[in-house]
Amino acid sequence: MSDVAGHTERVRQRTHEGFLAYKGFRWAQVATALCVVAVGVYFVAASRLAEPPSGGSWLGYLLGTMSAGLIVWLACLGIRKRVITAGHYSLKAWVSAHVYLGLSLVVLGTLHTGFQFGWNVHTLAYALMMLVIASGALGIWAYATLPERLHGNRGETTRKQMIEAVESLDRQLADLAQPLDRAGAEVVRRSIEDTEMGGGFWTRLTNDHRGCANKRAMVQLRALPNPPSARQAEALTRIEQVMKQKDAVLTKARRQMQITAMLEGWLFVHIPATFALLAALTAHIVSVFAYW
Amino acid sequence: MAQEFHLRLITQRAGGGDPIVRDRSISGGEATIGRAETNDIVLADLTIDLAHARMRFSGPGRVRIEAVGGQTFQVGGREVQGADLDISARPEVVFGSYTVAFGPAPDDDALVIVTREEDEHHLSPSDFSLKAQVFGRRRMSWILGAGILLLCLVLPLVAVLSGSKLLINPQKQWQAGALSKSHAFLQDDCKACHANAFVAVRDDTCQSCHDATPGMAEKALARSRDLGSPFKPLLVADHAPRERLSDGTPPPKGLGAIGFYAQTLLGHPTDRCASCHIEHTPAGKGPDPQAPLSDKPKLAVVHDCESCHTDLSKRLESTSIANTPDKRFPNFEHAPFKAMIVTEAGPKPKFQRAPLTSAQAPTEKNGLIFPHDLHMDPLGGVARQAIDLGKGAGYGAALECASCHRPDAGGKAFRPIEMERDCGSCHSLAFVREGGQLRYLPHGELQKVVDTLAGRTLIAPGAERARPRILRASIYTASGASAYRAAFSPGGACYDCHTITWEGDTVRMAPVSLTQRYLPKGGFDHSVPEHGGPGTSKKGGFKCADCHAAKTSDRTADVLIPDIAKCATCHGKTTAQIAAADDADCTTCHAFHRPGQATPTPGHPPLKALQWTKVASR
Repeated sequence: MSDVAGHTERVRQRTHEGFLAYKGFRWAQVATALCVVAVGVYFVAASRLAEPPSGGSWLGYLLGTMSAGLIVWLACLGIRKRVITAGHYSLKAWVSAHVYLGLSLVVLGTLHTGFQFGWNVHTLAYALMMLVIASGALGIWAYATLPERLHGNRGETTRKQMIEAVESLDRQLADLAQPLDRAGAEVVRRSIEDTEMGGGFWTRLTNDHRGCANKRAMVQLRALPNPPSARQAEALTRIEQVMKQKDAVLTKARRQMQITAMLEGWLFVHIPATFALLAALTAHIVSVFAYW
Repeated sequence: MAQEFHLRLITQRAGGGDPIVRDRSISGGEATIGRAETNDIVLADLTIDLAHARMRFSGPGRVRIEAVGGQTFQVGGREVQGADLDISARPEVVFGSYTVAFGPAPDDDALVIVTREEDEHHLSPSDFSLKAQVFGRRRMSWILGAGILLLCLVLPLVAVLSGSKLLINPQKQWQAGALSKSHAFLQDDCKACHANAFVAVRDDTCQSCHDATPGMAEKALARSRDLGSPFKPLLVADHAPRERLSDGTPPPKGLGAIGFYAQTLLGHPTDRCASCHIEHTPAGKGPDPQAPLSDKPKLAVVHDCESCHTDLSKRLESTSIANTPDKRFPNFEHAPFKAMIVTEAGPKPKFQRAPLTSAQAPTEKNGLIFPHDLHMDPLGGVARQAIDLGKGAGYGAALECASCHRPDAGGKAFRPIEMERDCGSCHSLAFVREGGQLRYLPHGELQKVVDTLAGRTLIAPGAERARPRILRASIYTASGASAYRAAFSPGGACYDCHTITWEGDTVRMAPVSLTQRYLPKGGFDHSVPEHGGPGTSKKGGFKCADCHAAKTSDRTADVLIPDIAKCATCHGKTTAQIAAADDADCTTCHAFHRPGQATPTPGHPPLKALQWTKVASR
């Protein structure tokens, strides 16, 4: 028996299976079935309900309970992923279920509303849920496509090498600039000290580095008056070459940062929106039952 | 001997470890500082000028340091262009990233230690990851979550518990939907209906404004006024006592059962007022979600009539109400109508409901002598007299139903028969002419008639058959105490219609009691054109005579009410079968809150009609 288990284990290790395709899309099938059943029941039952469809009908309560339970369970991924277990349910299985059941919430949650929306805490909870799901969907796209682009961009260069390259070029610049007068030295100093490889959240996400200190320094370098000595002139020429090299390395590193930001950025919406959702959901449930 | 600067250059190793220390002496009592290699002290910092400063001994134990190109340096944290330094105080001068520290040396020389502050900041591969300083994921999560919890849950709860009124009602965000117009005045007063937290709206809350029970109605009106209702609430009665309703209601079947048991278990039972009359929901179930607010709460029928009445006797053994098979009329045998008939006339008449079966037609004992056929005969004496009365008197042709049966204010039913108004045009009660004016006998009070006529001498000329409102002279030719006998004798005013007996001189008259409503358990609207009412009837509609066989009825005892088969001529038919076809739902004739009436159409009466009068609202 152990031989058989060992054999399957080896096979599984050999063929990589992402969280999306986990166990032949098992959770995609479960989620689809859930949605189909929910939609079917809704359209059969909703027309037979005495009242207009809403979260307050028996069907509404059923869908609402399921949705709330799912939301809490989905949010538990944050806890599950921090725990290392040897249990039956692998993290990959959890993520796979998280993704597909999370997407099924679009259907369950929407049906729960009975398509009644308003400016209230109930619709706030719904809107936040949709925001969480939408950001999560962005995350699926990011995880499915970006790692390849990340690899394609950096080629054989590692991140560490990129940093070292910039630092090495900065040292060269500092050395080359020593004979320069005050104005020239200032230009080079700005390139060394003020150049930011990454930048803020949006700068990274948009990869908009128009204000890059190195780029500005290159412009200013060309605007400098002709140097009095041949030694300084030669230094300036070499400095320009090094700055160009630095710019190339920066461009590649920044593209790397942008892809990384896109890969991680959705979490900056997904996680806070999840917390907001849990709070709004609590308010939604308490208020509904307080004024039953 | 000139003083010397003993220069010590300390350079940190890039990879850590012991720093490199180089010593050198500068003679001549003066030294230049700058980035250019020609300087005595070379500071390889791009912020420093090629020739930045110059220093020299300015006295015993003192050094003067001055900028050359107008650039500054720092002494004691201040940017200066020149400074006198007391070497014994071990001063430090900062040039960019370099620190030049002075100290005393033997022979009044100065020790100058030059160190470089290395920029410790280095990027690491982890810097490729997103790190938002202000809006970190964790911080943002807690702020957002706590903020929403505070604004959407805690604040409204505090407002509820403290009862404080804020400019913006924080509970408003809890409202799932607007209230109907009739209840809109309660929009900000959640507790008016949601009296207890976590307890579903109870019937007594609704009844506190809508209870029609005698004794409670006044309180209900007062409460609704206190709450600020601009409308007079509709007062409604229960369909049946609550226990009987509960016993008679079957457990639901199919999908609805899930909701029934779940909601009952969770304290949200489905037999409450609010189970059918739902609020906070859009007006229309139709495709337009922006439909205007409905006037009244939306009606969601939880149980229809059939669900309880199909086999009611199984669950409610003591019921006297017939079961209705689980089919809609006319596809089932609706029990024959049971007409309410008089079995004993008198001051306290006795009524009884008798089935209208053709085999054994019920008869009434209303005490009146009134043959319909005689009055309806178009060629008879009554018709002749009606023609003689003329149009000016409201006749002018043979009698028809409306000649005597006058519709009530709503037109749905008829006013009670009044002898003077409905019979008096022909059956005159005039008994004497005094001062040119006719005087009439008081109808309905036997003793007053006797007293009026007693002791009179009534002689009046005239024909045997008198016109209405003209004295019938021959009758009253009696005089003295027996004058009244004439009125109660054959040919007298009372004798035609009333059963008279004599005990000596004492006249006895059988009491008369007429049924006002023969079918009290269902609503029938006479004002409908197809029911003989005014207006143009659709083809197949009925006239009075189609249902009421008055023309052939020769005795008062006849009950001229048709059975349900008549209704089935149109009700339950399709327009293809008969143009006058109409619904045959239970609600066409019966109502939940008023079983003896047809169910009012939704929105009836209009909300506007329920506004308090201006006086009442003050």
